[in-house]
Amino acid sequence: MPGTLEALLRFLRSAGFRFAVRFALIFIGATAVFALVFWYATAGSLDRQTDAALRTDALSLVERWREAGSAAVAEAIGERLASDVEGNSIYLLINPEGRRLAGNLDRWPQGVPAGTDWAFDTVQRDGLTTEARLNVMELGNGYRLAVGRDVTEKQRLRDLLAEGIAWSAFAALIFAVTGAAVLRRALEQRLLPAAQTAEAIASGDLSHRVPLSPRNDEFDRLGQSMNAMLDRIDRLMEGIRGVSDSIAHDLRTPIARARAKLEEAVVGPDDPETLRAAMERGITDLDNITRVFEALLRIAEAEAGSRRAAFAPIDLAPVLADVAEFYGVVAESRGQSLETDLPAALETVGDRDLLAQAAGNLIDNALKFAPEGGRVRLTARALPRERIEIAVEDSGPGLAPEDRARAGTRFFRADSSRATPGSGLGLSLVQAVARLHGGDLVLEDAPEELGGTPGLRATIRIGPA
Amino acid sequence: MLGTPAALGGVEPPARVTSDSKEYCTELAVRLAALPGSREEPARSLAADGIHLCETGHTRTGVAKLRRAIRAARGGD
Amino acid sequence: MRILLVEDDAEVARFVRKGLQEAGHNVEHAANGRDGLFLAASEQFDILVLDRMLPGGVDGVRLVETLRGQGNRTPVLFLSALSAVDERVKGLKAGGDDYLVKPFAFAELLARVEALGRRPTVEAPATRLKIADLEMDLLSRTVTRGGKRLEIQPREFRLLEHLMRHAGQVVTRTMLLEKVWDYHFDPQTNVIDVHVSRLRQKVDKGFDKPLIHTVRNAGYMIRAEG
Repeated sequence: MPGTLEALLRFLRSAGFRFAVRFALIFIGATAVFALVFWYATAGSLDRQTDAALRTDALSLVERWREAGSAAVAEAIGERLASDVEGNSIYLLINPEGRRLAGNLDRWPQGVPAGTDWAFDTVQRDGLTTEARLNVMELGNGYRLAVGRDVTEKQRLRDLLAEGIAWSAFAALIFAVTGAAVLRRALEQRLLPAAQTAEAIASGDLSHRVPLSPRNDEFDRLGQSMNAMLDRIDRLMEGIRGVSDSIAHDLRTPIARARAKLEEAVVGPDDPETLRAAMERGITDLDNITRVFEALLRIAEAEAGSRRAAFAPIDLAPVLADVAEFYGVVAESRGQSLETDLPAALETVGDRDLLAQAAGNLIDNALKFAPEGGRVRLTARALPRERIEIAVEDSGPGLAPEDRARAGTRFFRADSSRATPGSGLGLSLVQAVARLHGGDLVLEDAPEELGGTPGLRATIRIGPA
Repeated sequence: MLGTPAALGGVEPPARVTSDSKEYCTELAVRLAALPGSREEPARSLAADGIHLCETGHTRTGVAKLRRAIRAARGGD
Repeated sequence: MRILLVEDDAEVARFVRKGLQEAGHNVEHAANGRDGLFLAASEQFDILVLDRMLPGGVDGVRLVETLRGQGNRTPVLFLSALSAVDERVKGLKAGGDDYLVKPFAFAELLARVEALGRRPTVEAPATRLKIADLEMDLLSRTVTRGGKRLEIQPREFRLLEHLMRHAGQVVTRTMLLEKVWDYHFDPQTNVIDVHVSRLRQKVDKGFDKPLIHTVRNAGYMIRAEG
């Protein structure tokens, strides 16, 4: 029993039920308003017509009274009664003693309270009681006039109307309840896929997505939002998994190396110089591990998109010029040339430090791969729709097409570049930064004019997607 | 007895409509006879019908016929 | 200098304290935020070195906010295992003056502590900086050595200015990267070294006494005697 009660309570508390009740109430309310208007326009209008006719009639009799006295009024009443084909008219004129002077009522109606001139009263007709509408007037000197109408017919019409309205109200109620139930069910049905997906996700299976209908309605939009959210969560999880994989694979190696060196030093000769040198190497190794770690965290930070909160409007032109100047000295020291082709201003919204680092990484990579005396070129230009393209080209050996696809993955190093120093995280970071800014990293052959065999052209396009 | 306001509302029967009676038929017939057009059709036959109906006890329809006769006799509609 | 170190990790605290004492500083240590706040508020220190995350209900940021709320302007260096940029921004916003991410080289910490501690409390708008016969005019943005004008580019000027403002102190590569270029990332290559060596070419080449010195395992220093 408590179970059923609880189920009932849950049903009563459900949003579907509340929507349904609201729907039913609105529907019933609308029906009631409709009935009221209908009633006012039909039965009410009939009543008002009757009253108006009675009033006019009574007033014309009063006028007659003023002009010609009681005998004339009695004659007029007689005339009116004589030509009342419908047989609904009621008149009564009495003198101060209460005697009837004219009319077709046998006595003054009792149902008219003193002081009012309008009343519904019952009168006898053919031995039956019928309803009459009466307008009563004091004519002066104690003469009184009642003008009325037998409204039985109209009453019957009213009853008929009332009955009709009652039936339609009942039908409306049934419609409301059925409609509410249908609404509730439809709501439940439409929410079911989302609910099921959420349940599946909650139980750990992140691959589920809300199936969308071709209707593209509110529920589909909710589903789309949910799916977008899930994709995002998926990507974050992917990022975390990527970081932990990287840590597992690529931090272990340098840690193992550092550990081996230190262990070797411990069991090696007791010469203080050797020991010191080993310890210094150990510290350098640890520093390198920290750098890799920092780089990984930074990539994860960019991939997670948490830095989007730090986005601000920036002019990329001076930022890129600074970066070029910063790395320019390196190029110079290696006998390479770093050329720039930047516009006067490049307005965008982004993270200055990350964009500078990304451009720096590209330049750094290019400088590492370009030969001595080689050329590296940094260009940037505005694209339509507020997008920006930043490209770094070099005259190095380039990258084999099959390696390009893997270049953005963490710790990727083309076999041909094993000898070059670097963590293998540079391009991953560039890619993460580009994606954070709504773009991507594209690797292709550098133009012929730079020389190279051919060299590599790394392009990032950023801006509102 | 006529027109005395009710001393005790519940006891006294409600006012009675007197225009559905045989007396009223007669009254209407008299009134019709006084009208100039009473001998013309359709007033004459309507009146005859009415009087007949009143006599056979269908007072209400009789009264209605007579009233129509009066209307006709007045040259109204 | 009198330094307050608020650090809950006993090993890190011992290491930092020992290092700072060996460098000639007087170090007080508190192991939690509450004690740290009490000490910082009741005694006079030249610099506070605070762990960003501390036990005892008062973390580094709260501690600094409280101190700054009381009008205490002692320079603060945050030590933190949180490297995310918004964490750094949070720390600096709360009133921290510098932010060092763990793990760090002691030399880096020492250089930053000394840079902060010896910072002129009143930012006197000096117009000239002078080390031995090297003179820098901040208004005309010219540099002369031994009366001879040196051709210095704007960025080199800023680099030299930073070194000269911290004359006699070690300035690390990261500090230069942060203060001169406002970069908070790892440039992958020894770019700073290249910049300094170019500057050194201009400042020291052709003079018998070099002024820019490399401090092994730490960074650079500009000083007259050497």
